[in-house]
Amino acid sequence: MDRTGLYRRSVLGAAAALGLPGMAAGQAATRIRTYWWGAKDRADRTNKVSEMFMAANPGVTVTGETLGWGDYWTRMATQAAGRNLADLIQMDYGYIFDYARRKALLPLDEFVGKQVDLAGFSQQSIAGGKVDGKIYGVSLGLNSTALIFDHEAFTQYGVAPPDWPMTWDELGARAAALTKAANRPGYWGVTDSGGSGPGLDVWLADRGRLMYTEDGKFGGTFEDMSDWFGYWAGLRQTGACVPPEVQSQDKLDIDTNGLSTGKCALALSNSNQLVGFQALNKRKLDLAMYPAGQSKTRSGQYLKPSQMWSIAATSKVAEPTARLLGYFVSDLAAGRVLGVERGIPASAPVRDAIAPTLDDLGKRGSAYIAFISDKVRDLPPPPPRGAGEVLALMVRTNETIGFRKLSVSDGARQFMRDCDNIIARG
Amino acid sequence: MSVPAAAETLALQPRRAALRSRRRGVSYAGYAFLVPWLAGFLGLTLGPALASLYLSFTEYDLIGSPTWIGAANYVRIVSQDGKVSDSVHATLLYVALSVPLKLGFALGIAMILDKGIAGLPLYRALFYLPSLLGASVAIATLWRKVFAGDGLVNQFLLMFGVHGPSWVSDPDTALYTLVALSVWQFGSPMIIFLAGLRQIPRDIYEAACIDGATRRQQFWRITLPMLTPVIFFNVVVQTIDALKAFTPAFIISGGSGGPINSTLFYTLYLYQEAFGYLRMGYAAALAWLLVLAIVAVTAFAFLTQRLWVHYDD
Repeated sequence: MDRTGLYRRSVLGAAAALGLPGMAAGQAATRIRTYWWGAKDRADRTNKVSEMFMAANPGVTVTGETLGWGDYWTRMATQAAGRNLADLIQMDYGYIFDYARRKALLPLDEFVGKQVDLAGFSQQSIAGGKVDGKIYGVSLGLNSTALIFDHEAFTQYGVAPPDWPMTWDELGARAAALTKAANRPGYWGVTDSGGSGPGLDVWLADRGRLMYTEDGKFGGTFEDMSDWFGYWAGLRQTGACVPPEVQSQDKLDIDTNGLSTGKCALALSNSNQLVGFQALNKRKLDLAMYPAGQSKTRSGQYLKPSQMWSIAATSKVAEPTARLLGYFVSDLAAGRVLGVERGIPASAPVRDAIAPTLDDLGKRGSAYIAFISDKVRDLPPPPPRGAGEVLALMVRTNETIGFRKLSVSDGARQFMRDCDNIIARG
Repeated sequence: MSVPAAAETLALQPRRAALRSRRRGVSYAGYAFLVPWLAGFLGLTLGPALASLYLSFTEYDLIGSPTWIGAANYVRIVSQDGKVSDSVHATLLYVALSVPLKLGFALGIAMILDKGIAGLPLYRALFYLPSLLGASVAIATLWRKVFAGDGLVNQFLLMFGVHGPSWVSDPDTALYTLVALSVWQFGSPMIIFLAGLRQIPRDIYEAACIDGATRRQQFWRITLPMLTPVIFFNVVVQTIDALKAFTPAFIISGGSGGPINSTLFYTLYLYQEAFGYLRMGYAAALAWLLVLAIVAVTAFAFLTQRLWVHYDD
């Protein structure tokens, strides 16, 4: 038996197997890597648009990588560390400053008006992607916070559904009335959202304060926080919201939210997530604004880019990537494929083009954004580093108070101390 | 043990010499075979370990470059971080409960099986099964369902009119569900105990019987002392395993270590710092302290060995 021959053959085979993909990549004229988070529906739409782009641009290959939100940023940071970021990256408002200021992203101003047509964009939606005066991200869709609720439950039990304008106390009263009217074990009015960052953001805005100030500090005071945690403690007491042992099963995603698991009729969420929630709920869901302040005139909500496209600073194919980016955000055919799955398109022509093609859910989402547009405040400053950890701290503090391990004021005091530490550490 | 070992060595000498004479010829092939492992060890274990030691003295968020900050990470861990004490508390409680319970359970079952019931191989395989599945994500997910408010456990309790709490989502009980999961995986220490029990010479028991020793006396005076080397091994291995436990806490708490840090194992906290908040330097320091703790625990076990482990020599 010719062992050496066999050995040599297998080594050659292995070398060929290792070498070939690299050679193929070198031969292709242009290869653009894209990277985004989201579920399957989003992947299907995104891949479809990439294929359309490839058909129109021979010689360009677009590949896609997608992950869930939780793992997305870990992998992204790892790739950034390895100088191996995808060319076109889906970016979030909470992260864009970090990445842009570390020079991981490419300023896009030189492409605007050429490869990337932003003529149909409002100034506000362009501003959401700016860092230190330069454009680093282009909006893929606008969204805002929203109450998502089971409309049928409110009608069935004869309780007024949430509407605008409504105070926080009215929300609590309606949720409590729903729990009482439904009168079945294991079912309550609303999720226990004392750990909701967007909820607190709106609550603080009603009091004229920013959750995070321009210089990256936490803007709430001890009084604000003890009122906030106290508000939810009150809701637990009246049975308006789910008890702590139910709330602690909520892993901050759509699947484990009390509204999806049939524990309650109302959740504090985001407008574009109506699509995701409806997919898991048999009954018809609807959107309403977060409660207004006592004056019932202003809303603490704002329109934000739900996602943006950014280009990696390390990209070797920046020009074609910019063309692909432009295709995604301003081409009418691409817009029809993408729909409102990522939020309402920022480009007015795209918005008009897709309006007739929207399904019922898409129409509700669009109507909601149109309804709130004249009631919202300006986009607040971006959250500082550590904001993600502050959210985890909010959940834990609310839990600690819920399980009666701490009083409301002790919990709020501890929150203020830990929050300062987190922000200081960054 | 030392005398037979020496005799064995003597007997082996001529063969060793023969081996040595042939060694020169095959050494290159030998090293060639070693290369994959060696490359893996140097490149994937030793290299990263040394890099992590360096990183533990830096501030590093993956996106930027590491900045040297001296021992600041270590200082913070031991003196300023409240979550470290929460996580150490949860981990030690878990070790202190799960290791003795699991080993006690494993020994009990091993002794029953050792009595020689019919179908022993089948039972052995059945009891070992959970150990094969235990560390998997699927089982942890299942566990979460079983111990949920409307899970199997509470449905069972309801038959007796007891309304159980939501075990996994109550800070007072969540850790115990993890302990129960660990005890359920008693298979591998059980197999080792079983082998240990088989090694105890039957004539000692016979002699004890003739002298009128009761079952209880036989257990305390014969079985346990004769089994101490096996117990020692199991305690060391299980303690290290428990200190490193991660998957069940990660899955059952959804990665949060909640409710209220009650299941925040040290490894889970380390993971959160590294991959949740991208503090790679801090996480590396946490990891090195865990290594030191495991070394210390193991060294302590080996040092006290003389006091309670009886080797048959």
